[in-house]
Amino acid sequence: MNAPTDFDYDAALLACSRGDQGALRSIYDRDGRRLLGVALRIVRRRQVAEDVLHDAFLAIWTRSRSFDPARGAGRGWIYSIVRHQALDVVRAGAREVQTDEESLDNLGADTAAGADAGLVDAFERRQDMGRLHDCLVGLDASKRASILYAYVDGCSHAEIAARMQSPLGTIKAWIKRGLTALKECMA
Amino acid sequence: MTDPIDDNTDELAGQYVLGTLTQGERRRVALALPHEPALRAAVEAWEARLLPLAALAEPVELPARLWPRIEAALGGARKGAPAAARVKWWERLNVWRALAATGFAAALLLAVVPRLEAPEAAPRYMVVLAAPGNMAPGWIVQADRAGGLKLVPLGTTAVPADKTLQLWTRADGWKGPVSLGLVQPGRAAEVALASLPPLQPNQLFEITLEPKGGSPLARPTGPILYIGRAVRML
Repeated sequence: MNAPTDFDYDAALLACSRGDQGALRSIYDRDGRRLLGVALRIVRRRQVAEDVLHDAFLAIWTRSRSFDPARGAGRGWIYSIVRHQALDVVRAGAREVQTDEESLDNLGADTAAGADAGLVDAFERRQDMGRLHDCLVGLDASKRASILYAYVDGCSHAEIAARMQSPLGTIKAWIKRGLTALKECMA
Repeated sequence: MTDPIDDNTDELAGQYVLGTLTQGERRRVALALPHEPALRAAVEAWEARLLPLAALAEPVELPARLWPRIEAALGGARKGAPAAARVKWWERLNVWRALAATGFAAALLLAVVPRLEAPEAAPRYMVVLAAPGNMAPGWIVQADRAGGLKLVPLGTTAVPADKTLQLWTRADGWKGPVSLGLVQPGRAAEVALASLPPLQPNQLFEITLEPKGGSPLARPTGPILYIGRAVRML
């Protein structure tokens, strides 16, 4: 990612585990805008994205003790908490019986999702993703798009199938094979 | 990451990180992560591989109100804050939003809140114990002014016949967690702090899955099912 790497995420998480709120704040100041962007892409509603970030930072605080700096990758750990928090919200929402008001909101969100077709183009313009970019470009366009829709927009198999107008089974196979090819390419 | 990872584990890890597992599958992976090193290694490898894609989400300006909400929920001292009009803790604490966001019915909250309302019984601390993987709340610990703790379930926890739930706590500066005893799934319990010092802000509580009869050692040996920190209340 294009973030400068002079920030020690592992040390900040270690400080959080010792109860240092300033360390949590430093993570927020450093990556909050990007993390809110990540959450918003997945949940698609601003207020919900803010709630996700709020809950994710509480989770980072609470779970910092379980972060093992020996294994490193504190930055990835933080992003994964935000992404999973956002995914929990959208997946849980999908199973709830919705009130009329919420359904209207979701209709709006689905329409907005239609505008995300630019994601694949945006990906192709990026120059800062190193090997991952090369390997994704090496995949079939359909597999590449499926993986981008899943990771960036938080789409389920069914949502990707709807976006790409392809059968669910096909999408599952694309993603499975796409991941295998990606791993081999990046090894 | 030197252990070979089998294809099934790796695919599960890849789909977990990508976000394409069902909610049930995601929860199972999240719960398995603390005690399955191969799966954890595979997940970490996928997180590292795919992390650059997070840059495709445009950064969004942070609203000024967000950090104060987070800070308040941490239960920290708000230095320099004016002696604000006394806000009832359940209005102030964003915990309830967290509960609601993870799908808990308001009915549960209604069942809990009125009991806390009586001033003489007002707890000084509260802990929401949530599942590590997805922050789904499972238990609440309430502490009253006399120092007693009450553990209240928000749902049931499936426990295999040969296992048991055990509650632990650890404050800053302690050597390790101290057992507060065994816990029956889905049942409220009074917890005796016995000879332990009074609760501290930020004190950690966790419920682990242990062999029947409790951990054979003086520390947790099984996976953490629920974890949370004490939040001070007005």
